[in-house]
Amino acid sequence: MGDMSLDWMSESPRPFSKVLVANRGEIAIRVLRAVSESGLTSVAVFSDSDEKSMHVEIADHSVHLPGETLEETYLNGQSIIEAAKSSGADAIHPGYGFLSERGDFARAVESAGIVWIGPSAEAIETMGDKISARSLMIESGVPVIPGEEMAILEDSDHMGILASAAARVGYPLLLKASAGGGGKGMRAVSEPKSLRVEFEAASREAASSFGDGTVYIEKLLSGARHIEIQVLCDTHGNSVHLNERDCSLQRRYQKVIEEAPSPAVSDDMREAMGKAALRAAESVGYVGAGTVEFLLSSNGQFFFLEMNTRIQVEHPVTEMITGVDIVQKQLEIAAGFEIGLSQNELSPKGHSIEARVYAEDPDNGFLPSTGRLLEWKTPTGPGIRIDSGVRLGDEVTIDFDPMLAKLIVHAPDRNSAIRRMSSALSNFVVLGLKTNLDFLGCSVTHPLFQEGSVDTDFLKKTPLEELSPPETEESVLVGIAATCRKLGLCRSVNYSNEISVGGDGNPGDPFRTLGRSFP
Amino acid sequence: MEWSVGEGKSRLKISLGKKENSIIPTSISIDGIEKEAPDFSMRAGDGRGQLIVELGSHREIAHVANSGDDWWIHFNGRTHLVRLHEKGGGSRKEEEGSLAAPMPGTVIQILVKAGQRVREGQTLLLLEAMKMEHKVTATKNGTVESLNFSVGDRVEMGSILAEISD
Repeated sequence: MGDMSLDWMSESPRPFSKVLVANRGEIAIRVLRAVSESGLTSVAVFSDSDEKSMHVEIADHSVHLPGETLEETYLNGQSIIEAAKSSGADAIHPGYGFLSERGDFARAVESAGIVWIGPSAEAIETMGDKISARSLMIESGVPVIPGEEMAILEDSDHMGILASAAARVGYPLLLKASAGGGGKGMRAVSEPKSLRVEFEAASREAASSFGDGTVYIEKLLSGARHIEIQVLCDTHGNSVHLNERDCSLQRRYQKVIEEAPSPAVSDDMREAMGKAALRAAESVGYVGAGTVEFLLSSNGQFFFLEMNTRIQVEHPVTEMITGVDIVQKQLEIAAGFEIGLSQNELSPKGHSIEARVYAEDPDNGFLPSTGRLLEWKTPTGPGIRIDSGVRLGDEVTIDFDPMLAKLIVHAPDRNSAIRRMSSALSNFVVLGLKTNLDFLGCSVTHPLFQEGSVDTDFLKKTPLEELSPPETEESVLVGIAATCRKLGLCRSVNYSNEISVGGDGNPGDPFRTLGRSFP
Repeated sequence: MEWSVGEGKSRLKISLGKKENSIIPTSISIDGIEKEAPDFSMRAGDGRGQLIVELGSHREIAHVANSGDDWWIHFNGRTHLVRLHEKGGGSRKEEEGSLAAPMPGTVIQILVKAGQRVREGQTLLLLEAMKMEHKVTATKNGTVESLNFSVGDRVEMGSILAEISD
């Protein structure tokens, strides 16, 4: 396809000009910026509490979503489609989470004559149902984890059926909600007597998060690594993989640190997993950007876990090692263009690591922390990238996901990347609420991580003391605080901002915006 | 006025003095026991909320921000929370005897000495701000515990100019 011209959309088989991003926070900002950069018009949506959020400010237009709860606003497909119609948007990008993996929403968007930036509703629904996805993989010759696929019906002897299947699969096993994801509705069961309790907990969690209470079981592989392959597929039958990401450093099934390429994946394994991932994508006629997740056992065997039919949080590490802008590719593919990349130009270049900065307190069970961002200074320098949805002065509440930012580094090799990440983390200044920054710094410099031998059990078996930094002398800290107080160095600052509800996203009066940025 | 660090139970008190252009700790007590003050000095940095700290031969920038009595510090590559404990709560500065500058200005005259007994309403020092002289007066009867600035010093709004104890 060659270089994209500035007026690239004019050559599109399926053009669109105004993209509504049905999301918030950092991913909304990521996509809204990509839309603007590619010369298209961007539309943001926002609920009451997001009226003054950063994603609203950077969009060309914004539409208010009335309602109090998530279901009434960001999860309200009808409301979002109406927002698209009222703003004249002819395409919708769902981001990740929220409605991105809801086949019914994809279908409704297309029925409304709006371009859906994502795979078909059928692909979403097939891969979204863990049982049907697993059957399809078996048919397609993609290796799956030993286990039993079964639908639990409420009016049958479900505990009896479950117990027999569990005995066949063998303990330890993992109970997974069929419609779960992101760690929800998953319970490890180490012995038969815990089965009932864990099943009930998993069902409740799955039902409350995703509206579907069925679960299934599979053998729990301990000491495994979580390796996922990024794929891109277009409407002309082309598909490529953009190598793997290693997301083994997780806490309770939530990813904390991701890297690409994986220190545990050889060139041969990459080729095999890449081919398996493309077979999985092709089995559902996948279009767009997607990720196929695998578990890599310690003996080098890999097994299909699930396919995520959307862009992922950790996509930046792949962008860093391939030079490909995945969101831009999503727009091009949705506009009917060919991918324009050949597999042999996509081998990994250098090494990238991402750390997720959360508003949580590791010393207090990782409970979410809240407060106003009194200081927010992100690290800068070569090979350092920050994807964030918050700014200095923002109030962080428990209403939404506590992720403050993603810190991504890229360097010529893994050791350099670790050094870069460690240095960037220690230069990241966030004041006003507790964060996991110190914890991240200790994780990335932990000997096991440096060796490249972190598996998914790492945080479970590593005591928190090994992941807490050494203390600074108390009298020095008190001296610093007392001196600042005495010198009046920390006047509290007025963070009022006056952007109005709805209408055009432009704040209008530049002096009001200046008033917030330079208090 | 006492401080605690993180979840620590110890209460620290600190006195600060000047040495050349920097501020140094002159005395430290932890839970009432006098301890040797560590060797470090501090001065204001370039930006808002920045302090340059020299600890031994090592110089580092501390970033500081406060919300009421919670003082957040980024120092040494990590984040700390230091809490101020004032009798009766943090908002009653005047009753506590901490006199804060009402506006940015320059100290042009100091009329009292440390250790001197003063009456409520007595003028302690004069500030020049916005081309006018402003009197800073004692908010209660007491003894001047400390005077934190000298003639010619520039102060920020909120700088603690003097402390009066009962």
